[in-house]
Amino acid sequence: MYNLHLSAEQLEIRDTVRDFVTREVKPAALKAERLDVGDRGLLMEQIDAASQLGLRSLALSEQRGGAGADALTSCIVTEELAAGDADSAAVLTETSRLAHLLFDRAMSDAQRERFLPKFLADDRYQLAFASREPGSDTRLGVNYHRPAANEPALQSVAVKASNGDWIVNGVKDCVANAPIAALFAVLVAVPGRGESALLVPANTPGVTVKDHEKAWQHGACGEVGFKDCRVPADNLLGDDAVAILTGADTPGRGVPLAQALNLGIGRAAYEAALDYAHLRVQGGRPLIEHQTIANKLAEIAVRLEVARASVWQAAWASDHPEAIADRSLPDLPLTTIAQVFTSEMMLKAAKDAAEVFGAMGVMRDMPLQKYVHDARVCLHWDDGNSDAKLRIAEALAGYRRAPEAMALAGE
Amino acid sequence: MDFNLSNEQRHWQMKAREFAEKEIRPISLERDAIPTARETWDWEIIKKGSKLGFRTLAVPKEWGGHGTDFVTQALVMAELAKADSAISKAFSQNWKWSHLISQVCTDEQKQRFLPAFVADDTFVLGKGITEPSAGSDNRLPPDDIRAGLKLKAERHGDEWILNGEKAFIANAPVGKLFFIDARTDSTVPLKQGTTMFLVPRDTPGFRIGKVFNKSGWRFYQNGEMIFENARVPHANIVGEVGGAVKKTGGRGGDTTGGDIFGDLELCANALGICDDACETAMRYAKTAKQGGQPLFAQQNVQLQINKMFMLTEALRSFVMRVAWEHDMKIHSCNAGLAMNYSSDVVQEVTELYMEIRGARGCYMDPHTDKLVRDSIIWSHLAGDSVQRMKVARRLAAAAAA
Repeated sequence: MYNLHLSAEQLEIRDTVRDFVTREVKPAALKAERLDVGDRGLLMEQIDAASQLGLRSLALSEQRGGAGADALTSCIVTEELAAGDADSAAVLTETSRLAHLLFDRAMSDAQRERFLPKFLADDRYQLAFASREPGSDTRLGVNYHRPAANEPALQSVAVKASNGDWIVNGVKDCVANAPIAALFAVLVAVPGRGESALLVPANTPGVTVKDHEKAWQHGACGEVGFKDCRVPADNLLGDDAVAILTGADTPGRGVPLAQALNLGIGRAAYEAALDYAHLRVQGGRPLIEHQTIANKLAEIAVRLEVARASVWQAAWASDHPEAIADRSLPDLPLTTIAQVFTSEMMLKAAKDAAEVFGAMGVMRDMPLQKYVHDARVCLHWDDGNSDAKLRIAEALAGYRRAPEAMALAGE
Repeated sequence: MDFNLSNEQRHWQMKAREFAEKEIRPISLERDAIPTARETWDWEIIKKGSKLGFRTLAVPKEWGGHGTDFVTQALVMAELAKADSAISKAFSQNWKWSHLISQVCTDEQKQRFLPAFVADDTFVLGKGITEPSAGSDNRLPPDDIRAGLKLKAERHGDEWILNGEKAFIANAPVGKLFFIDARTDSTVPLKQGTTMFLVPRDTPGFRIGKVFNKSGWRFYQNGEMIFENARVPHANIVGEVGGAVKKTGGRGGDTTGGDIFGDLELCANALGICDDACETAMRYAKTAKQGGQPLFAQQNVQLQINKMFMLTEALRSFVMRVAWEHDMKIHSCNAGLAMNYSSDVVQEVTELYMEIRGARGCYMDPHTDKLVRDSIIWSHLAGDSVQRMKVARRLAAAAAA
């Protein structure tokens, strides 16, 4: 059985989101003053509207008040959103992803009872996972195919107070959604217990958030400080939460949401170039009638289609892990594979699309330079593609890491 | 074969290197980070460089300039660009048009403009060709008479009245004198119906519009020019009426105005960026550590560094050969090819540099980011399809001859 049909629901949600993006997101995202990559605020009104459409809680199960979207559907929605605005897509995707991981998988019933109603009631209740620490080296790099010489130890620590509360101290950086999050899941070391995940509401005294200016990341991103933050004993997540949140339970095979976002950026560039190639006349004909431009557009289309196939395969594999067990799919880190291919191809696509625009392709009040920048961010963010290739190679070589090391390596 | 530089060439190279490191590099990132396009320009650095001769480097000695050869010019451009590509271009843009003045202007015109240009440290030159609806059409003009630039010039006695606008014009917001291509005959194709005018900044009816906000080459000013019944004396026509395209282009570049210097300029400037990227990448790879070892200990990093240097040295050979050929008056298509090649090289080299740096979470080094943004400019000047086809057609014409 080989079947690439989307379900009626998937087609419907894609159309709904595409329509929403065309009507509400694009007009705001394409305003000249918002195209400067050094200075672009979040489109909060549009993000709120998207929340009302259910996109903030997309991946949360239906029984808990979400849309219960599987990995493939989530990727389709993220691509559509990112084709309109990569930042809005990043915010909504992160919250939706964490809503599923936290409320459906990591929280106890008691924890869910405390936090889920607030999450469902408030369109601005965004979620963030604070894991990375300033200066930490999460790259595989020199440790390729060998145990890391020194495992980086977490500096953020939660200790138990006499009444059972947790007291958290530490700093996290590059935290997606940090400046707008209402609830953080924080990766901490707990003496005697090891790596743990703790729930810390953003309004807890002692929590400070610093917006990362010009962060090499989409959406909102920031540094989060915890100074003697006190949270109730029950805020500690269960034993499997760390693996769930870091993706260490499915190394290299997580939901390819970042790659779907990357596809959306490439598609925005492609659509803009295709439109312009029809409109702009030089050499006596519309650009699209010239071979060189036609060739560029064809190459962009090829990259987009093949990249999407790799992303969808990884997403589908995430929804159907049994397909690897029954040998329908190769036993490979399919998401990391999609990451490498998509990020390289989308940067090429965005650069070619920008070239179609001539000088307008580099102007800060025009969208193409933004797409090129956004695509570049996808190529280098986190630990970048060079590292991703080493991770694929370890899988090819059959090299197995201890789960803890994988979690720390940001898998 | 002789790769040695003369004492004079070496002198200019060292002088440029010192100025670049002491004066340009310290302000480079700061100017790049200024958000308003109009404010990135800095007259102080232009004045300092001008006093050292970097503004008037290409003006013949008999007119008070330095009369340097093309090899020297290539060396200086690369040295300045190594500290800031956009600032290097702000200087060399003047050389481009001083070549044009000395090659094609009459003595009377030289007398009127060159001494003033040489004497004033803030006298900057520019040339207006591109218009909102005519970019590629000016560079590869089709025979259709409607294609190409539309700025209209009509003769009224001893004056020409110019109407229309130019876009994306380098140095427009800061220049004092411009070469302007205008349509003087709309009944014939661009090639026959275009005339070049010398237009001083204070010409009545001529003004500067918006300053374009570029993602790269932030320092370098690029703006709109608006002509509303601008009155230019007949004596300001460069060459002859209908002769603009002939004067600046020419097969294989047979004048020193326009293409022949412009092609060399872009590849020499790219070389400076590549040198900066290579040097910084090597330093970083040897000092930054990962897993307790210098990055350079990694095989993949060694290959990335190898490729950066390999491409850069190949580009250097090509650039210097083209400069030398210009000095020997050997005119071929090599300048155009070197320019196209520099577009590929500057982007690959800076992208490799960025890969070595990485974002390390969510932080990209601003210097790396700047080099990559600056290199993207080449896509739209030196390495786009039109620029490549233009060179291919020159090659075809040369092959048939």
